[in-house]
This record gives sequence, C-alpha cells and structure tokens, in this order.
Amino acid sequence: MNEIIEKIRSEFFEAIKNVKSAADLEPIRIKFLGRKGLVSTSFDRIAELPKEQRPLFGKALNELKRELENAYQNLQGDFKKQQAKQVQLDLTLPGRKPFAGRKHPLLKVADEIKQIFVSLGFTIEDGPEVETDFYNFEALNIPKTHPARDMQDTLYITEDILLRTHTSPVQIRVMQRQKPPIQMIAPGRVYRRDTPDASHSPFFHQVEGLVVDKGITFADLKGVIQAFAHRMFGPDIKVRFRPSFFPFTEPSAEYDFTCVFCQGQGCRVCKNTGWMEISGAGMVHPNVFKAAGVDPEKYTGYAFGMGIDRIAMIKYAIDDIRIFFENDVRFLNQF
Amino acid sequence: MKVTYRWLKEFVDFKETPQEIANLLTEAGLEVEEIIPLVKPFDGVVVGKVLEVQKHPNADKLSVCKVQTNEETYQVICGAPNVAAGQFVPFAMVGARLPNGMKIKKAKIRGVESFGMICSKEELGLEHHSDGIWAFERELSLGEDVYSILKDEQDWIIDIAITPNRGDCLSVYGIAREVAALTGNPLKEITIDLKEQLPEKTADIIKINIHDADGCPRYAGRVIRNVKIGPSPGWMQKKLEAVGFRPINNIVDITNYVLAELGHPLHAFDLKQIKGQQINVRASKPGDLFVTLDDKERKLPENTVMICDAERPVAIGGIMGGQNSEVSDQTTDILLESAYFKPERIAMASKKLGLSTDASQRFERGADPENVIRAINYAAALMEQLAGAQVAKGIVDVYPQPLQQKKIPLNVEKINKILGTDFDQKTIRQKLESIQLKVEADQVIVPTFRHDLSLVEDLAEEVARLVNYSNLPAKKYTTTFYEMPVSELENRLQYFRNEMLSLGLQEIFTQSMVRRAEAQAFTEDEPLAIKNPVSDDMAVMRPSLFTGMLKAVSHNLNRNNKDLHFFEIGRIFGSFDGINLPDQPYSLGVVITGNRQLPGWNVPEQAVDFYDIKGYLETFLGKLFLDNYQIILYDKAGYMVKGQTIAVKIKEDLIGVCGKFTEEVCHAFEIEKEVFGFELNLDLLQKYLVFDRKYQPVPRFPYSERDVAFLVDKDVLAAEVVEFVQKNGGFLLKSVEIFDVYQGPNIPQGKRSLGLRLRYQSAERTLSDKEVDQYFQQIINKTIKHFSASLRN
Repeated sequence: MNEIIEKIRSEFFEAIKNVKSAADLEPIRIKFLGRKGLVSTSFDRIAELPKEQRPLFGKALNELKRELENAYQNLQGDFKKQQAKQVQLDLTLPGRKPFAGRKHPLLKVADEIKQIFVSLGFTIEDGPEVETDFYNFEALNIPKTHPARDMQDTLYITEDILLRTHTSPVQIRVMQRQKPPIQMIAPGRVYRRDTPDASHSPFFHQVEGLVVDKGITFADLKGVIQAFAHRMFGPDIKVRFRPSFFPFTEPSAEYDFTCVFCQGQGCRVCKNTGWMEISGAGMVHPNVFKAAGVDPEKYTGYAFGMGIDRIAMIKYAIDDIRIFFENDVRFLNQF
Repeated sequence: MKVTYRWLKEFVDFKETPQEIANLLTEAGLEVEEIIPLVKPFDGVVVGKVLEVQKHPNADKLSVCKVQTNEETYQVICGAPNVAAGQFVPFAMVGARLPNGMKIKKAKIRGVESFGMICSKEELGLEHHSDGIWAFERELSLGEDVYSILKDEQDWIIDIAITPNRGDCLSVYGIAREVAALTGNPLKEITIDLKEQLPEKTADIIKINIHDADGCPRYAGRVIRNVKIGPSPGWMQKKLEAVGFRPINNIVDITNYVLAELGHPLHAFDLKQIKGQQINVRASKPGDLFVTLDDKERKLPENTVMICDAERPVAIGGIMGGQNSEVSDQTTDILLESAYFKPERIAMASKKLGLSTDASQRFERGADPENVIRAINYAAALMEQLAGAQVAKGIVDVYPQPLQQKKIPLNVEKINKILGTDFDQKTIRQKLESIQLKVEADQVIVPTFRHDLSLVEDLAEEVARLVNYSNLPAKKYTTTFYEMPVSELENRLQYFRNEMLSLGLQEIFTQSMVRRAEAQAFTEDEPLAIKNPVSDDMAVMRPSLFTGMLKAVSHNLNRNNKDLHFFEIGRIFGSFDGINLPDQPYSLGVVITGNRQLPGWNVPEQAVDFYDIKGYLETFLGKLFLDNYQIILYDKAGYMVKGQTIAVKIKEDLIGVCGKFTEEVCHAFEIEKEVFGFELNLDLLQKYLVFDRKYQPVPRFPYSERDVAFLVDKDVLAAEVVEFVQKNGGFLLKSVEIFDVYQGPNIPQGKRSLGLRLRYQSAERTLSDKEVDQYFQQIINKTIKHFSASLRN
C-alpha cells in the first residue's frame, strides 16, 4: 500500500514542479485532490485491504492528503500574490470623464446679481422683449418728440411695436398689476441699434430695479446700490453718485464704482478717473407713477439699472463683449 | 459741448484749475468728458534771432540761416519764404521734441548741414495750417524756452456731455452760470455796445407777420447795411475753432460766436433777396419743397415752421436757411433774424427731415425766449465793430403772447421726503437762488432758460446736485420687510436650467436677431421682421433657438472643438398679426454633435446618434416627472430628417420636436458633421408641471424579473409591443424594459428580435416563482397571438 501512496506523492510533486500559473495548477488539483481525484479514489480502495491494515492505510492517506493540500495551497498563494502584482492599476492614467457642462459666464453673473437682490428681499420679474411704444417710452415719460428718444437708437417692428431698449418697461407692467409695496428686479435682454464692436452689441442685458412704497427716499437708493457694490465686488468698493438725466426719474443719477483694476488709483481701463461707470438710477418720476396707475402723492420710489454684460466684463476682465455670444467652448470652459 | 477755461473766466472770476472746474461740473451733472490743452507740450524750442539768410547752394527754395540763441550760433536750413534776418523766431534745437512727437536731429540737406529747425505755428501745434515760419511780433530774450512763454497764455478746451434736459447749458454763458453757482462767484453780464448809426428805422424797412404763433412764439429782426464781408479777427477765429466752429467769414462767424457764447441761434439773410420787405412765419403744407443752403432740395414735413418773404420760403425756421437768401461775398445788407421756436415743433421737423443742426439742437432742447433781443443786439453790435456795418434804428420784435415764467410751490417737506434729508428752507433757498431761480415766500419762479424745471421733484434734483450727491445720506439698512409674491416664472426657468446642467450639458447664450434665411429654415410662418435692422445678419427675430445654437456649433467645429453637447434657454418669437404683441415664449433647445463621451485611452470614439438626443429628451422629461407626455413619430419639421424625427405631445399641445438635422440645414450653417437636437416650448410645457408630489412608499418586498425575446415583423414598433405587454401583463407587472434588439444572422428575413425584461412586484408579499411564471406565460402567449410573433429559441 505504501507504494501507492509513494507513487501518488512523487507524481504530484513531479507534476507541480513545472507549473507556471494558477491556471496550470487547477488540472493538477483536480487530478490529485478533486472529488474524483487520485487521493479520494484511493480511500475507496481501503475496503480491498485486510481489516488490520485499514487504519494504517487510512492514516497514511490522510497524511498524504494534508501534505498535498499544503503544497498546493502554498503554491496557489504564490500565484495569487504574483497575479495581484500583475493586475496592479496605473493610477496615473486618466479616468473616464463624463461631460460636465457649465453655466454660461454671463448667466452666471446674472445669477450672482439676482441672488444678491433676492437676499435683500427683491422679487424677480419678467417682461416681453418685443414691446409696445407705450411701455418702452410713453409710460416712462418719453413722449414722441422728446430728445431723449435719440439717446437710445431703437429697433422697430412697426411704428408702435419695437424691441425694448431697456428693461424699464417691466417697471410699468409690474406697477400696473401689483399694488405697492413693490421691491423687484427684472433681468433681461435689451436691444439698441448699435453697430457691433468690442464695447457695443446690438443686444445686451440689463437688470432693472424698482422699489415703491410710502416713505422711500434717495437715501434708500444709495444704500441699496452700496450694499450691492460691496457684495458684488468686495467691501472696499466705493460708490459715487453723480447727477444725470433720465426722463423716468427725478432726481436722476449715474453711479460709479471704484475701478476694480486699479483700486481707484487711476489706470487705462478707467481712463485715469479711478471710477468705473456702472449705470443710471433715480427717484421714480411722478409722470411714470401716473402712467402706471400709482398715486404719486401717496408713494415714492426709486429705480435703477445695471448692465449684466458690463459687470461680467469687469468681473472677468473681458475686453470684448462679442465673445459672450460666440460660445466658443474654450472660452466657456474658463468659468 | 465745448467751452474753454479762459472763455468761462470772462464771465466768472474763479480761482479753480481746469481740473477742479471739470470735477465741479461733473459732480453737478455736467459730465466733463475731456480736458484738452490748446498748447500741446513740446520742449527744446527756444527764442532765437536770425542773424543772416543766404541762398542754399543746391536748392532754389531753401535758405541757409544763422540763428543765434543766448549761447551759440547755429547753421540751419529753412524752407519758409518769409524767413529774414533780424527776426526773433522759435528755434527747435537738436534734441527738441515737437507737439506732434517729431524729434529734431542733426541733418544734412542737399549737402549742407543743419543743426535744428525754425518752427511755424503749425509745427508748434498752434494752428492747423501755416504759410511760413512764426516770427515773434516783439523782441524776446534769446534762449528763453518758448513753451514756458506760451504756457502763460495756455487755455484748455473743456468738453462736456450735456444731457437732453439741459438746453440752457449749450453755451459758454450757460456753463458759466453753473460755474458761478458752483464756485460761489457772481456771474457777469455780457457787455453790448450797439450804436445804431443808420438814420432809417428797421420798422420802415421790414414787416414781420407771425401766422404760426404755436411754432414761433417770438420773431425779431434787425437790418444791418454796408457790411464788408471778410475774415473775422484772429481772436474770434481762435475761440470759434476751440469750441468746434470752422471760421468762414465775419458775418457767419459773428452769428456762430453769439450762438457759442449765448446759446441763441441767429440767422442772417441777404436783405436784397427778401421780396416785398416782409417776413411771414407760417406752417408748411403737404408737398412743399425747399432748397436749403447746403444746396439740397428737401421735401418739407407738414407743419414745419417756415420763414417766408412776400413770395416764397426763405428758411426752415430754427433749422436751416435757404439757398435763395443766403449771405454771399457780394452781400452788403443783411436782415438778421432772432427768434424763439417751440421745442416740440423743431424736434419733429428735424427728425422727419433727418436734419440736425447747431440751431435745431438748441431750439429742440429749449432756447431762452428772453435771449432773443440780447442775441440780436449782441450780433448787430459785433457787426458794427468787426464788419464795418451800420445798424438801422430799432428792432422789429413780434411776440404776441409772451411766455410766462413757471411757478413751482416751494415744498421743503417734499424735497426732504424725496432726498431723505432734513435741509432747512434757508439752505434750499440759497441753493436755488445760486442758479438764478427766484425764490418767493412759498414759490419758486423759474427763469425762461430752464425748460426742464416744473415740478417739486425737479427742485429736489437741483438742490441735491448743488449740495453734491456725495453729501446726501445713504441708508445702511432698511427696517421694512415685505411679504412678496413668489417669482414664479424665474423659479421655473431656473428649475429647467438646473435639470439641464445636471445632465452635463453646456449652457450657451446666443443672439436673437438672425438672418431671414436662417429663420425661414425653422418656420413656415413669416418671421418677425425688424423695420430698421442693424444689418442683414440681424434682420428678423429668431423663431427657434436652433438658429443661434447651430451657429455656435459651426463656430466651434470650425475651430476644431468637436464634441459639443449644448443647451440654451431663451425667448423665441412667433409671427406678427400687425397689431398685437407677437407670442414670445421661452424655449429650451439642445444640440449635440461629435462623441457621445469624451474619448480617452479606455473610451473609444463613438459618435452620437438619434438615441443620444432622445435619451437626453427622455431623461429631462423624466426628471420633471412629466408622465403624461406622448412621443409621436413626426414628419412636419422640414429641418429634420424624415424617419429620424419625433415630437413630444401633451394632450393637444405639441411641446417640441427632436431629431437629426437635415444635411441642407447643416450645410446652410456650414456644418459637415451630423447634428441632433430637440427644442421644447417651455411656456406650454410648464402648464403641465405638477409640483405638489406626494410620497409613495418604497416597496418592501423583492421583485422578480423574467426575460423573453420575441421574434416579430420588423415593421412592428418596439413601443407597440411594450405598450401591449404593459397593458395586458397583469397588475403585478411593474415595468417592461427593452434590453436587446437584434436583426441579422439566425433571425428569419423580415423579422427582428425584441428582448423584454419584465419586472413583477407586490406591495404586500414576496411573490412565488410559480405565481410569477404563471403570469409570465400568460402574457407571452397573448403577445405571440397579438403580433403573430414567435419566441426566439
């Protein structure tokens, strides 16, 4: 019986000598250690032996089984380690990237502006881009012969229907449908008959602001614009108000922010003034209140405007407005 | 509007520098755009004396001069004919820099060396054209720096942007009035020294009749004889040039001078051309024609104020004179007109004529009717002094209904309420009086030159700007909190936009004015056309976002940016019925081209196809929990490939179209790649959004899945099979997915295999295999029967 055991042992160790991989090892495992392998089937032969030899043979077979299993497992462990080494990832290779689009920079800035005003308690309103002469001009105290019409060269559909030249018509629409208090902004696209160049686009984007209630003063307007300037461009930004003229406000103002490029020291961008012109504002003209059905004896209000494109250009140091509308992904990916 | 610093000083004694004056004006609402020194800086030019002048040996027109400065004598070549020994001249030494940037170097001219240059006024930037060198009128000390001498006479042009309400500031005197108020100095009167030497009376020479008192409330005339037309004096030319008038002759220059200084336009007629010794002011009738002094025949808009003699029109009132009565070199006698025209009438006529002049700009912003007499007397006096003329006695002044000064109640409380201030009456009174408003006990009388003041709000602005806006208070916080309505539209648009961004699409923002042909590709209706477009590129309003989006695709493809997954939200514009505002709904567009995923070392290039765009569409609609939409096969979008276009429908509303752009459309945008897109009308879509969603319990019991593959005719649509199975699969069938579609070897001709995965689930218990198998078998049998299908293997 010992010969059988020896034969199996020597055959096994002979077989595993040339084994190079876990895959090569598997048939050997099956041949020797499998359910129908040589070791298992040898147990079946116990019955052939005389009774007194049986325990001895059984013991020897069990020892053989343990021995072979150990050898097999050691070998297999080695292969596993080897294999683990082989499949190690090169972690420096780039991953699979899904498309990850972004907000358009202009609309991102619009979001920031909106968020600032929403946090100050303003609502966001909207109005049509194709407007009537009434909302765009007449109701804003700009009659047909008023020289102020020349301030904004208008694109017309018909004599009475036009592309709005500012977001101010939304003021009228909101006042007509909602009683004061009103505290709103209206962002949107506006149109002027300008030839496109680095600083002009025949369409651009404004945010209109309007606050109407009892007891609203110019001091409220100054406060809100200052708060906006600080949130948008930082606490060191100063605001300057200068008298100006808009038919729909009285008193009217233009407001400037400290030049962000030179911190007010004077540079090429601000033409050495230290100030960047932002936009216009003022107290709502009583004629505008009348046109919109608000009692000017009871209420006062302020209105302001600002250019989203202009603020975005300042924020991102962009010197050509047209680049916003080319939508070149190499530009869009920068924001 | 240009004034000069020294000109302002003629009327106000102030100490401020040009920059300080500019700041004061800007802060008071008269925005100074530029301060330009009249003498531009130069250096290295000194006073020299010409010792001798000899002819250049090799050039007829050149001379070789010896010029002495305080230290040395230089040899200089000079080309000017007027150079002469004994002259004191501005001499630019070697190394000098002239105002135009030119640097003087040692030179050899036709073989003779030259060490410097004798300068003309032109070369020193003092006039536009000089005929020769500048010989100083007096002896100056040799070697003295010429720029330092001139600097003492330096003047500055102050260029101011005047807002349309401030017609009163369109003159030197008007600006001076503001400067007086802002610097706290008195304003001087203009001195007019008129002699009226002619014995005859103006009233005997000319009659003036106003038939259109609405358009022309006041008209005055004077007669001036024996005018000698010639150039005006240098001081006048210099001042006119500085503020932007080109000197022409003494008569024109005098009227322009009065215009510049006083802001009141005048017109001079050749008296001999005025027929019948009369002026008639009347409104034009339809069809009237008139030749203006720029030799253009113009069709007059109806109701234009016309100045006529006994027979014919001789000028368009307040805008431009006529060719038939223009002052020429032969003119000796002049009828001088000074009038006041109604702003609205001039504005209308100027606009309709497309003719804007110095005169019309002033009249339409409001001239001062009280200036009519001052201006005409001033000009007449200057003609006496500068054109050797004599002026007839008296003035013909027709002013049937003098304009009243406006009165505004002085409401101190209201002014403070507007400004958020607490000024006392004294402060307000003092500010208003400083700009020549008359303040009485409880009212303010507005002088006739301030057309813009009529309400207490206007007074508030005057007070505010004179106090300086910077000195007004700013409220740091407000104590009022309002309960405001929800910004509904904004919230929805942001909702759509955020869902798009979460799908990984890039947001773009394109223009809304497009070419007519581009628009027509996307609509069968007439696109909304702009009457006066900027250019053909921007002739109509976009009927679809695809116009701008495909342009953006084209722009990027041309620059080798290949993989594009774009979305945009914006308004599109419906057609126009001629009366009402057109429909202008918000729209959402998506366009994709290039690779499905960014290619990489382990991601093969795989171009997008129809199912990518449809996937975006379905995922987006799914995110909105829009479960009542229908996808229909669609062939009415001419810009999309038939057989690769679907549409989204909710009830009767067609919400949008999705598919592959045709080659023709791509070609029109110069795109050679395949592009897919969809567009949804958000105004329609948002009608169907349901925002109040209720919680559905998450299933507690496991599901069982069964797969089956049917062989069906290849014309049977997948959606039909899925729908049938869903409808007939029993109440435990939760979902049906297509997991495989196959056509090809091992499948009979004309058939295709659809692999369906059915999921069964109960909310109450775990389903047994037996139970599931039973339902599964039933639906298989029904489907086979319904579609004449068979099982694959």
